[in-house]
Amino acid sequence: MITSVIGFGAASGVAAARMAGWARYSLHTGLRSYSPSSRRLFCSRTYAALEPPNVHRLAETARISVSPEEVEEFTPKIRQVVDWFGQLQAVDLESIDPALRVDTIVNDNLREDVPESFDNRPAMLAAVPSFEEPYIKVPRVLNKE
Amino acid sequence: MPAAIQNPRVLLAQWRLPHPFPPLHYHRRLYFRSPTAAAAAAANSFSHSEILSIRESLLSRSKKAVEIASEYLERLRLAEPTVRSFLHVAETEEVLKQAEEVDRAVERGESLGPLAGVLVGVKDNICTADMPSTGGSRILEGYRPAFDATAVQRLRESGAILIGKTNLDEFGMGSTTEGSGFQVTANPWDVSRVPGGSSGGSAAAVSARQCVVSLGSDTGGSVRQPASFCGVVGVKPTYGRVSRFGLMAYASSLDAIGCFGSSVVDSAIILNAISGHDRLDATSSKHDVPDYVTELISTDNMGSKPLKGTRVGVIRETLGEGVEGEIISSIQAAASHLEELGAVVSEASLPSFSLGLPAYYILATSESSSNLSRYDGIRYGKQVPEDELASLYGNSRASGFGCEVKMRILMGTYALSAGYYDAYYKRAQQVRSLVQRSFKEALDENHILISPAAPSAAYMIGEKINDPLAMYAGDIMTVNVNLAGLPALVVPCGFVGGLSPLPVGLQMIGAAFDEGRLFRVGHVFERTLKGHRFVPPTMALSGC
Repeated sequence: MITSVIGFGAASGVAAARMAGWARYSLHTGLRSYSPSSRRLFCSRTYAALEPPNVHRLAETARISVSPEEVEEFTPKIRQVVDWFGQLQAVDLESIDPALRVDTIVNDNLREDVPESFDNRPAMLAAVPSFEEPYIKVPRVLNKE
Repeated sequence: MPAAIQNPRVLLAQWRLPHPFPPLHYHRRLYFRSPTAAAAAAANSFSHSEILSIRESLLSRSKKAVEIASEYLERLRLAEPTVRSFLHVAETEEVLKQAEEVDRAVERGESLGPLAGVLVGVKDNICTADMPSTGGSRILEGYRPAFDATAVQRLRESGAILIGKTNLDEFGMGSTTEGSGFQVTANPWDVSRVPGGSSGGSAAAVSARQCVVSLGSDTGGSVRQPASFCGVVGVKPTYGRVSRFGLMAYASSLDAIGCFGSSVVDSAIILNAISGHDRLDATSSKHDVPDYVTELISTDNMGSKPLKGTRVGVIRETLGEGVEGEIISSIQAAASHLEELGAVVSEASLPSFSLGLPAYYILATSESSSNLSRYDGIRYGKQVPEDELASLYGNSRASGFGCEVKMRILMGTYALSAGYYDAYYKRAQQVRSLVQRSFKEALDENHILISPAAPSAAYMIGEKINDPLAMYAGDIMTVNVNLAGLPALVVPCGFVGGLSPLPVGLQMIGAAFDEGRLFRVGHVFERTLKGHRFVPPTMALSGC
């Protein structure tokens, strides 16, 4: 028989007495910093050269249709996050190489340049929403701008 | 009934091994040469391991695979209305058919794969050819991949039985599983709370014992944080340890397939099964895969100071402001426990720690904006028919993607816009260099680093849903590990909350490809943790 056993509380004889930083958490303004260096988490900095996000333009670029209500809903949230990204501007990153990826990978993963056939073409084609043998059907492409 | 849930005194009595775990003949895939003897030995020394208990039951003929599969299916069915971990459950006949094959193999005396008869849940952003794979998104509703992910294929080759696909935040974007396009999974410890995310379904399924082990994916903590919230063991391996082929890409330089188990041994076994080089993943590593299980010390042989000589660094920046007091206490208690086991525990500092969070979100949103451009409604997925191509793209994507996904794509599009690369993406990569460097320095001084896996225990469902930054803030403990590509293990270490306890996990971070050490330390920690049993109260509800 499995009996459900409720576990004990956490600490056992450890000096606690830390303020619950979480208790001072304000959902409205968001996060309070974890450390002095991140106190500027909510400094709103826009740099002269960078335009604030234009959700409508971005949605066009990303090929996602957005309704006016969505633009209204997304814009403040995206601006808030992008402002938060801006804190990296204040950090001195002179002479630091950008890390393209983690350094755990050694780049010798090349294989012979020989084409191979995929053996389950029917399943791939079955997933195509609009298929007319042998074409994947697409609507016309309008040249904009 | 799973043998794992037993009185600890009974377990101790079963451990009769007079000598260390016998050497195993192993291929990559950990086949036992002398199945009965080695399995019995293994099961005796690790009788809390559900996988090894199943194996012993099968080989000793005390249980059939069909019985075990039926038990799990029944438990899944009973818990599902409350927990809702699964987006798709395999057909019962299919599961029992595979279980019957295992039984036939046992009868014929054939050698069994290391996961024979083990029921596995797979996160729905990992492709499975015989089950729908939606990535948690309506844009892939009903999509059936034409192939298995490499990790899934390796599980099947090891004899595992896939019981279903688990719920997740859409495409891995989220920390609560509320971002799923289909349903919200509940935390088995308190069904008004989230299981964590994005691999919330996988964590909840193991926690509620709906499956033995499960696969998840971890881009910014998506295996480790739910493991902490649900009181199960979670592993994020080194970047490149497990092939990403078949994992729906979110952020390609950060994604890793990870796994959940109810014990460290089980997690080690499943990681062994799925690890290794894959020619189909150009970022997969050729680094050797050691046998993680043989490196574990059986409790018989632990002695009084099994961690003697191990240097543990407690990351100072993770125990300060913004972290709940009870979490800090739990981690400090865990540190004391490690010290009692013989480890040398000191404070470690990661100076660029707090910068990792915005850097991570810049990199992740940017890479995701590129990766998710493939969901265009043309070759697969949901299509909203239109007369003109751009509208087809726009409307298909708009109707298929959820809000969080759309926002992240838009943020990533912004950060990668012409002229903005230097300000955002490049700077984030520079911060990434700093993070890698500081980890390297800290891991030169220490074998492993420890921290909480999250600044709090599980939140209420709906608590963080309107405030993206509040949700992102919860990832602070985990993202730096993805930036550095290092392995990490989360082991339940205690509870918070008194009357309605919620589990807390201890995160252990190791050097690249040092999963063996993490498992060794984690296993010792787990087996010597007094007074805690991590079985959620809902187990009682499901009639077990």
